Amino acid sequence: MIGATILLVFVLAALLAPYISPYDPVTQNTDLRLQGPSWAHLFGTDNFGRDVFSRVIWGLRVDLQIAILGVVFPFIIGTLVGTVAGFFGGLVDAILMRLIDVILAFPFLVLVLSIIAILGPGLTSFYIAMALVGWVSYARLIRAQVLVLKNSDYAVAAVSLGFSRARIMFRHLLPNAVAGSVVFSMSDAVIVLLNGAAISYLGLGVQPPIAEWGIMVAEGQPFITTAWWITLFPGLSIVVLAFGFSLFGDALGDVLGVKE
Amino acid sequence: MMKNKWVKIGLVAIMAGLSLGAGMAEAAGILTIGRRGVSTTFDPIKTAQNVDFWVFSNVYDVLVRVDKSGKVLEPGLAESWTVSEDGLTYTFKLREAKFSDGSPITAEDAAFSLQRIRDDEGSVWSETYKVIDTASQGDDPRTLVVKLKTLSAPFLASLAMPGASILSKKGVESMGADAYAENPIASGAFMLKEWRRGDRVILEKNPNFWEAGRVKLDGVEWISIPDDNTRMLNVQAGQLDAAISVPFSRVAELKKDPELVVTQNTSTREDHLLINHEHGALAKKEVREALDMAIDKQAIVDTVTFGLGEVADSYIPKGALYHDANALHRAYDPEKAKQMLADAGASGLTLNYVVNAGNEVDEQIAVLLQQQLAKAGVTANLQKVDPSQSWDMLIAGDYDLSVMYWTYDVIDPDQKTTFVLGHDSNMNYMTRYKNDHVKDLVAKARTEMDPAKREAMYMEIQKTAKDDVHWIDLYYSPFISVTRKNVENFYQNPLGRFFLEDTIKN
Repeated sequence: MIGATILLVFVLAALLAPYISPYDPVTQNTDLRLQGPSWAHLFGTDNFGRDVFSRVIWGLRVDLQIAILGVVFPFIIGTLVGTVAGFFGGLVDAILMRLIDVILAFPFLVLVLSIIAILGPGLTSFYIAMALVGWVSYARLIRAQVLVLKNSDYAVAAVSLGFSRARIMFRHLLPNAVAGSVVFSMSDAVIVLLNGAAISYLGLGVQPPIAEWGIMVAEGQPFITTAWWITLFPGLSIVVLAFGFSLFGDALGDVLGVKE
Repeated sequence: MMKNKWVKIGLVAIMAGLSLGAGMAEAAGILTIGRRGVSTTFDPIKTAQNVDFWVFSNVYDVLVRVDKSGKVLEPGLAESWTVSEDGLTYTFKLREAKFSDGSPITAEDAAFSLQRIRDDEGSVWSETYKVIDTASQGDDPRTLVVKLKTLSAPFLASLAMPGASILSKKGVESMGADAYAENPIASGAFMLKEWRRGDRVILEKNPNFWEAGRVKLDGVEWISIPDDNTRMLNVQAGQLDAAISVPFSRVAELKKDPELVVTQNTSTREDHLLINHEHGALAKKEVREALDMAIDKQAIVDTVTFGLGEVADSYIPKGALYHDANALHRAYDPEKAKQMLADAGASGLTLNYVVNAGNEVDEQIAVLLQQQLAKAGVTANLQKVDPSQSWDMLIAGDYDLSVMYWTYDVIDPDQKTTFVLGHDSNMNYMTRYKNDHVKDLVAKARTEMDPAKREAMYMEIQKTAKDDVHWIDLYYSPFISVTRKNVENFYQNPLGRFFLEDTIKN
């Protein structure tokens, strides 16, 4: 419930950003630099005189997009690969599983960073990198489920009825196998969100002047001892959103009857 | 669990390291200084980095020194010198001085050091010293005779550069240059006790230094702490005696601390915006002029340097020799800039702005300039890249705009001028600016020995280059350091040389 509420509030805030943010997120006003939190500027202003509250709200749009798109593509690819590998088994399975082993052999962030370095900085590169690297966890989850389910009575019955393989895979097995992945995708969203912020922090994700939480934390770092609010509020927002995804994932797991 | 354990061990190690550092700092007469970078070598001819040069000045002496004001040359290892009628032969009288190993410093060592910086394959400075025809011992071991190929106004000044430090010939030849660079025989106030690569340089007083009586410190430690916040906190907590490269944003706060002294020394640093003259519309002078007018330098000074810098209008820093005090200043006028761009057929200009990722000043200037340029209808796409990569991109011409800075290594303007306007091998500091008249003037000014005529040439060079908008001058800024209040005479001249021989730790 708490998780769902947090997510709902955040999604609403993101959608309504143009209406609820009191100032433009990128307009600089050097007369109002480094002002602490006040009624006029709830979260204070940064070193360019930009309103931190407005930037946090607009940053939410970008970060939610990162969390969602960064999960959707790996989810789709991973699910397809996992189903195919689990259903066919044998050589197909062996090849796909070794491919996964190869990708898993590299540290996650290192692989993502090198792909972005090749493609050039930006969010598009980040999504591509996530899709290329992130699918492996989904594939393994789904494959394990499909391996179990394909020997279940209804699957055997479907085969004996002469249904096509595609129909068995996607109509019969997949809907039953996917619950675990859906729950996992919620905790994955947390990791993706943190990675997205980390990559923007390193200057490889969102490019200035666009507001994004990771980049805001990075930009506020030089001022952390004198103007803590520039860093604290976007940092706190990352924590709260991640917390929301996590709680929601747990609740979803209970509803869908998935055991962690 | 394993991971956690290792993290804990790491933390304990760091804490132990820090407390050890604190213990060190209290040792009498050892000055600990925090800095951003790390030393790369102790071979003076193989580096052009401030971080190395500033330590060389502690370890090696030069024939001719630059004084504290940064404007006057004074005797170093050479106690006097005479110049022949034709201006081509310099005769130096060396003072009685010894290396740290006790052997005397002779004309042979000095000649060897000069020949080495000119001829050695690894020398990054050979171009500057090509003007030396011969360097050899004169009538006695303390007389050095240097013959030049042509007249050279900046020659004496170039002898004061840390690259031209005096090394022991016997030492280099017996140890080999690489071993010498690890374990140098010192000719300066301090000698190298230990060099922990990537971490710190530990120096101790050189008892054989000819001015040993002047040196009050027992030793110096240059400690690398790349993170600005950590470095400042270490001084505030008393774990360091001093720290250099204080961020502009921290000055006001540190000044309030009664335990600390913040020192701002005039520097020769100038920050500027490079323009790639070979890229499309940027080849047009009107477009470059418009960009100059679209940039509010005062806003950069106020926002990025917190008012500690000063708007720059010439590539020759304020206070330096031949600085043009009446240089053209194009007033900030985004509307006019927009109009000029339209007239030049460059409306809706989109530029690729290369930014050094992780450099807070660079990044702040980028965000500020992006918005300023937008007001003149120019879109600047920021491309944040690693500093090592950005340098390669600038050399390859793979950029439109990029901010860089320059600090003098030599008090004479010839060095920077040659790099920036003399059609040197680096394409006029990567700008690809070309003006043959300026190029000829730079060459002529180098051999002009009459200061008045030379000054006139430098005024013309500055005016022409500014008129052509060879780059956009942004601001001058001081060197800022912070010390605990028990430290006295911690001082840098405008070239960056620390006078640690005068520093006292009470």
